[in-house]
Amino acid sequence: MIKLTDYMKAIDAVNFTPALDIGVIELEGAYVCDMLSDVMGSAKPKQAWITIMKHLNVVAVASMTGIPVIVFAKGNQPDDTVIDKATEEGIALISSPHETFVLAGKLYQMVKS
Amino acid sequence: MAPLALMKRASECGIEWLAITDHNSMANCPAYAEAAKRAGIYFTWGVEIQSSEEIHILAYFDSPNNAQAFDIELYNSLLPISNDPDFFGDQVVIDENENIIRMEQRALINSSIWDIGQVVERIKAYGGYAVPAHIDASVNSIISQLGFMPAEPAFDVFGITASLNVSDWICKQPYFANRSLLRASDAHYLADIGTGFSMLLMETPCAAELKKAALGQEGREIKAG
Repeated sequence: MIKLTDYMKAIDAVNFTPALDIGVIELEGAYVCDMLSDVMGSAKPKQAWITIMKHLNVVAVASMTGIPVIVFAKGNQPDDTVIDKATEEGIALISSPHETFVLAGKLYQMVKS
Repeated sequence: MAPLALMKRASECGIEWLAITDHNSMANCPAYAEAAKRAGIYFTWGVEIQSSEEIHILAYFDSPNNAQAFDIELYNSLLPISNDPDFFGDQVVIDENENIIRMEQRALINSSIWDIGQVVERIKAYGGYAVPAHIDASVNSIISQLGFMPAEPAFDVFGITASLNVSDWICKQPYFANRSLLRASDAHYLADIGTGFSMLLMETPCAAELKKAALGQEGREIKAG
């Protein structure tokens, strides 16, 4: 298990949900997918979800699956509606300039070491 | 599908009204509109737009002028990637006599930069009627891409695939119980024509009447095909 805050430093992430206490979030892996119908059936709690999809439905899917944090790759930024809903649901939203391959690779390395 | 063969097949299948909905372009609508007129089939300008989430949304226009204006804006919203004919075939624009007028170079297989909300907003701005395509499909449908129906944008009617067993599907997707469904063939080849269709009770075959039928207004109705 690693701390989300350590992972954020490794991927140069920006936090879009400052109202949440992200210091308590720990991760044991990630699910990487842009099709929400697939994420709904496969993502698990304690996983980060790495995606470029930023539709409002991502928050509901994260909530359904127990995902604590959504990582938007390639500098994608959610709009205010999505941020407000995520804050309300207690789901952290972060964005990183790196591509998905790098984001998943760094997390894998950190979790396995 | 060449327009003359398409209209011949549609006539054989007893189709009275059709729209063509090419991917991200209405450049071929003038040729098919003329071919339909000659064959005595009602025709509506249509297009299947691929949103940034890779969702397919159908748009139907009663005004060819509005459709063409929309088509220009849509074209400018497409990712500027060139078509590779080896993978996706030649993108030909033809006239009503099946002569090639020009080749479209930009990859129409790709997505618009508009998200689903923007797609629907732009369709409405040009007086078009938006219908989610093949909502039960496992790729490029709102359900496959977004998991479930978002509250916005709202739709009156949902496209379904040619062979869907509606009652079985509704058990898994109760959201669609008591909602208007429009079955179409989504024909890509001549042999697909007529495999899926809808019976529509309306005054004239046009998108404005389709909306009334979808909403069950003034005696208009969509009956399962």
